[in-house]
Amino acid sequence: MRKITYIAVFTNNKTIVFPQTLIYMIQQLRKAALLLKILLLLTAIGSSNSCYAQNKTLSNLLEIAGKVTDSRTGEPIANASISLDFKKSGFISDTLGVFKLYLPNGEYVVKVSAIGYKPFRTRVVLTKNVQLNIELDEISKTLEEVIVSSQATRKDIQTPSLGVTLLNIKGIKKLPAMMGEIDIIRSIQTLPGVSSVGEGSNGVNIRGGNVDQNLIYIDDMPIFNPTHLFGLFSVFASDAIRELELYKGGIPARFGGRSAAVLDIKVTEPSTEKFKLSGGIGLVSNRAMAEIPIVKEKLSVLVAGRVSFNDFLFKWLAPDNMKGTKANFYDFASKVFYRPNKNNTITLSAYLSKDYYQVDSLFSLENVIASKTQFDYGHQNASIHWSHYFGSKLSMEIVGITSLYKTRTYAPDSVNNIDLRNQVFYNNLKAQWDYLPDDKQKINFGISGIRYDIQPGSLNKDVKSRIAAVEIPKEQGMEFGIFVDDEYKFNNKLTIQAGLRYAHYLALGAGTVNTYLTTEPKSLNTIVSTRTYSSGEVMKSYGGFEPRLTMKYSIDEKNTLKLGYNRMQQFFQLISNNTTPLPTARWKLADEFVKPQFSDFYTIGGFHSFKDDIWELSAEGYYRNAQHILDYVSGANLQLNKNLETQIISGKGKAYGLELMLTKRRGEVNGWLSYTYARSLQQMLGDFPSVQQISNGDWFPSNYDKPHNFNMLVNIQPSKHHSFSFTFAYQTGRPVSSPVGLFQIDNQRYPVYIARNNSRISDYHRLDFSWTITNPSLKEKRWEGSWTFTVYNIYARQNAYSVFFKPVAYGVRPYELSVFGAPFVSLTYNFKFL
Amino acid sequence: MKRFSYLYILIFVLFNLVACINPVSDFEQAAYLKFITVEASLSDLTEAQKVKLYWSADRIDGTSGFTPITGAKVWLTTASGSTINYVESGVSAAKGVYSSPDTFKGAVGETYTLHFRLSNGKEYESSPEKMRKAPEIENLITRFEVNDVYGKADPRRAGFNIYADFQDDPAAGDYYQWFWKHYERAEFCVTCYSGAKYNFATTNCDPPRIPTDEVWNYICSAPCWNLTFSNELNIMSDALMNGQRLTGKKVARVPFDNYSKYYLRLEQRSITKDAYDYYQSLSNQTQNTGTLFDVPAETRFSLNIKSKSDPTEKLLGIFDVYAVKKEFFISTVKQAYLLTKGH
Repeated sequence: MRKITYIAVFTNNKTIVFPQTLIYMIQQLRKAALLLKILLLLTAIGSSNSCYAQNKTLSNLLEIAGKVTDSRTGEPIANASISLDFKKSGFISDTLGVFKLYLPNGEYVVKVSAIGYKPFRTRVVLTKNVQLNIELDEISKTLEEVIVSSQATRKDIQTPSLGVTLLNIKGIKKLPAMMGEIDIIRSIQTLPGVSSVGEGSNGVNIRGGNVDQNLIYIDDMPIFNPTHLFGLFSVFASDAIRELELYKGGIPARFGGRSAAVLDIKVTEPSTEKFKLSGGIGLVSNRAMAEIPIVKEKLSVLVAGRVSFNDFLFKWLAPDNMKGTKANFYDFASKVFYRPNKNNTITLSAYLSKDYYQVDSLFSLENVIASKTQFDYGHQNASIHWSHYFGSKLSMEIVGITSLYKTRTYAPDSVNNIDLRNQVFYNNLKAQWDYLPDDKQKINFGISGIRYDIQPGSLNKDVKSRIAAVEIPKEQGMEFGIFVDDEYKFNNKLTIQAGLRYAHYLALGAGTVNTYLTTEPKSLNTIVSTRTYSSGEVMKSYGGFEPRLTMKYSIDEKNTLKLGYNRMQQFFQLISNNTTPLPTARWKLADEFVKPQFSDFYTIGGFHSFKDDIWELSAEGYYRNAQHILDYVSGANLQLNKNLETQIISGKGKAYGLELMLTKRRGEVNGWLSYTYARSLQQMLGDFPSVQQISNGDWFPSNYDKPHNFNMLVNIQPSKHHSFSFTFAYQTGRPVSSPVGLFQIDNQRYPVYIARNNSRISDYHRLDFSWTITNPSLKEKRWEGSWTFTVYNIYARQNAYSVFFKPVAYGVRPYELSVFGAPFVSLTYNFKFL
Repeated sequence: MKRFSYLYILIFVLFNLVACINPVSDFEQAAYLKFITVEASLSDLTEAQKVKLYWSADRIDGTSGFTPITGAKVWLTTASGSTINYVESGVSAAKGVYSSPDTFKGAVGETYTLHFRLSNGKEYESSPEKMRKAPEIENLITRFEVNDVYGKADPRRAGFNIYADFQDDPAAGDYYQWFWKHYERAEFCVTCYSGAKYNFATTNCDPPRIPTDEVWNYICSAPCWNLTFSNELNIMSDALMNGQRLTGKKVARVPFDNYSKYYLRLEQRSITKDAYDYYQSLSNQTQNTGTLFDVPAETRFSLNIKSKSDPTEKLLGIFDVYAVKKEFFISTVKQAYLLTKGH
């Protein structure tokens, strides 16, 4: 029989060669990671058909005719190349965009690609002649696929904002998530400048800031603890979130009250047109969200929730005496959107979160007798927004916010009951105006007033128990802010955004303030006198200006230079001596002894875009200088302490770094690569160095000082139905304190520590993978389902979570604990009903 | 501070299948330092009071050992004006150990100050520490409990938990410590492996020229006891339970290693605030390691002992003044009962 010689792909020897390569590939694959297997097997399945061509004759060939056009203009595309079954065929389209192929009957994967266009793929079951009309999308005109973008460049490098990253939730959902649980806090850790002390840390550290120095808003409602399950998952119900903006620097004047960064999360505005339902079933939690239009174009409601069901994990996996362990959480978000007319919109938002644990033999409180401890904590937040448009130039927004964060630690017992409660109650009223006098200028100004009421610790109030009732005096404070931001475009090259915020803080009575001997360290023995303030009386006030400045200078269309400076003040902080704060840690307002933190932040950035803005290269350098940050004396007792000032050391912090990032914003393969060099150092030296110093008063690395960071995200979306993502992260190991010697008391050996964070745990690196199959039935229906398959830590790196020292024969020996020492595979089902 | 020593259980359980612990193979100490260490205790027990002076080891693996400080002069002064001189032990194995006269013991209510002068003339002094009364142990319960946090081969997995009841003094500021010694009757005093024979002159096992698989057990010639001590610091303050009857306080965890009878001596000590603070920081750095909820590992130097010439000199150890109430009892897997009371 005659072989077909003119169809390049399937000719002659290739039919023989291919199976061999396949065998070779499979041999290699056995050695490779699971994921590669999956990916390549997919290819192999597609390719395996290519053995068919042997001994086929021309007479039973069928025709695939195609016409390739630009999706937007309809113009034919010449020289588009056609691949068959993942191999180049050598065929190209002619000047009219037309091509023809003759193939034996069978099943083929046809790919059409042209430079500057997104490739098109289709599967053809060839039983008769086929006509394909192929419209290609121009890459530079397609929507951004990328998960994040620095807003700076998103608007074609036209705004002066610097260090601002916009993340869209659609993109975040494509990232490989631990246990299949979409997680905002984890996702932002793939960005340069954002790190944490480790898996399970309670929050993130942004450009050298502590976790409590980040302002986290969800529809303007502050979040005091962003995690569930002791830091394993973040609290936000991802379905309800529209987008989030992360301000690492260049923070606009409308934000105040925290000294490092702002994470501004916006909840989706429910559609007033169409009912929508979405949700998901995962290993850790189940989610659902509904958007319900009530009055068309005027009133709609969004309801979203997420509930965990971990108890079974403990029942299945836990050893017998731990089957009593319970750990559950939920969160709930709701938004009511009302637009009575064109000029007014009113939205009501609510956000609830709750965690509950019961852990055997866990004791949270010292010097009590308890065998089983329960915890719960959560937010109860609500806000109302009224926006009014006076015209095209002026608009106004009035916002009222209330946020209550409560924690409770309790141990029911016959005689030794424990019931410890903390809470933060936050109320904020603010008004702001946007004024656009002309094309060149945008002005934003406003005022804000916050009332804080803190219950720092109340033990066994009205509880019958042998354990004493202890009441730490409540703290009250007011914070007032007035701000203005003016963005002025001098010309096409230069834009300046200058802002100023003035913040004034009052610590209010009722309360008491001790006076201490000035010649000795503060202690209960050095109290000279105590002054009592009545309710509402001003006990202490602080205030100061916070200048904010960012400027943009465009060298040309592709290159931009930016500069920024901002000062931030913080009157409210978390008191915690742990490596990462506990969810039950105590918040403290500034007072006579605890001075407000403030930081000065300088930043400079260069941006370069190329290939029609598909690629973007950025470099940002920063320096941050922080004052009045807190640390604690050796052996500090922070819980239920009425005189916290006796435990505190106030010090300085500095952080600096360089962030390099290369982003491919569009196309079938997109993602980013980033390298960050970042340092974060602290110096703690009080007035009485004998007790108030850490590491001899020298600068020491903070718990989250990780100099070298490398992150990579690759997102591959070959078709509407499949998407693959890889994330890779490398970080220098976090600092830990390491002993310099050994001593012995009562036959027990103890290591000697002289300096804080003088060593590091081993470097951290990890590769994750996720594969999302959308709408597998391939039919256009109102119900759209998708499966996400995730492998966390593909190559089973045993990353150290912590280092500890265990006694061995004659001394102690360091050990590393790895929490995720093996790949963690999970599968999540998501659905949408539109 | 909060002790979350068991918090990692939660994380462990969630990731039971994947969590693992590995020794750090490439560990290098950031620095190698030695400090003068004082292990000084004074109790109301009728036994010689001891002060141990030595240089701490500068290698954490223990390869460098402790260096005894000999030739020092050690003495105690009381608030009532008397002085007690300590004498250095003549035994070569107990160098650097200084003992009071056998007849001397501490008295509840008295305040003591420890002094010592090294052979180089440097003088050190403790802050005055008052011996506080220890309450009687009113009731003891022993329960055999398995701790599933530890693996099957881990000796910490199985053991006896001992719970005590006692009455706290109505005055605030009481601090307690529990300490146990476990006496186990030893059947064999020496075991030699690989065919080695015991050499009574050198007290070593002498290996034969060609090793065999023989194991030689040497039966003890007189009653012989293996001693184990508490391996965890167990302390408590009455800050939250002042004046209460404390019931069900876990005072000891004794690891289980065989089915023979357990002879235990349990001490309930009433310690000073300085000692409590000191043990608290030791307990934080040794018992709370391994999670992100750890407090910083910090060694507290010179908490109640300072150099007279240079108060900033860093000293390790503590002058621990305490009164004791003790119980002897026997415990087996099936039962636990008091052997004697008050001895």
